[in-house]
Amino acid sequence: MICYKKIMKTKGAMTTGKGKETNPITWLEKHGDTLYRFARARVKDSFTAEDLVQETLLAAYRSRKKFSGRSTLKTWLIGILRHKIVDYYRKQKPEQGEENPDDFVYGSGNMFDAKEKWKVKPGDWGKDPENEYERKELMTMIHACLDEMPKKMSLAYTLRELQGVSTDELCELFQTRKNNCWVILYRARMLLRRCLEINWFQGPK
Amino acid sequence: MRHWIFSCKKISLLISESMDRKLPLYRRLGIKLHLMMCYLCRRYKKQLLFIHSILQTERTIEEIDSASLSPEAREKIKKRLEQEKQ
Repeated sequence: MICYKKIMKTKGAMTTGKGKETNPITWLEKHGDTLYRFARARVKDSFTAEDLVQETLLAAYRSRKKFSGRSTLKTWLIGILRHKIVDYYRKQKPEQGEENPDDFVYGSGNMFDAKEKWKVKPGDWGKDPENEYERKELMTMIHACLDEMPKKMSLAYTLRELQGVSTDELCELFQTRKNNCWVILYRARMLLRRCLEINWFQGPK
Repeated sequence: MRHWIFSCKKISLLISESMDRKLPLYRRLGIKLHLMMCYLCRRYKKQLLFIHSILQTERTIEEIDSASLSPEAREKIKKRLEQEKQ
């Protein structure tokens, strides 16, 4: 694998010429991994990421005349990839349906009383898990909780907290206003907190 | 004691929001004031930060940083691009 990468690098060096490089195969060789990593951090599985890289390179090749050279080839390609990722999420929307987080057992709608005070009081979680084993177990529980959540919410949360995607970019991906973005993340945090409280901190250990 | 400025529900949203953006000063002060008086919201905040810290250490981003296209995927994409060129 390392060998392979080295070959890629030397090949890359050879083609770093002055003029425009319009061979998509060279783009793949030079920037394939960068594009893949970018996509992989933003979508769930590697297959989707691979597809997105392919679509990006195809689209780039088809519109190669539009590449002005004002930006570097790499940033141009990443720009196209970003649009592809937005499209990908847009296409996903219908199947997600409109799930109301307040309908969930742990929903924020049930957490407060009419005066907006805590009805279900946050419990004392005691000591933080110290050892590696406990942390791993807790991580497993976090993933289980995320799986139970409405899809869009867990996706937004995972992108934000695990992948470190900025809130701005997240709103762009979901094509939603910032206000709404914060609310989605808030609801995800409320659900996750409560789910952990019930299943981890209060449950049988 | 009553929490004059923001309700617990509002505070719970603001605390979450503060993890995603810098809040305006009066909101930050509002949170501070509320937290001084409300142990439940203090607990809530501590718990959110705890979950956040767990996830930070587990960040999959490190895995992803060294990820690369598999040779098979690379080959597949190459073929598709060659088709396109013709």
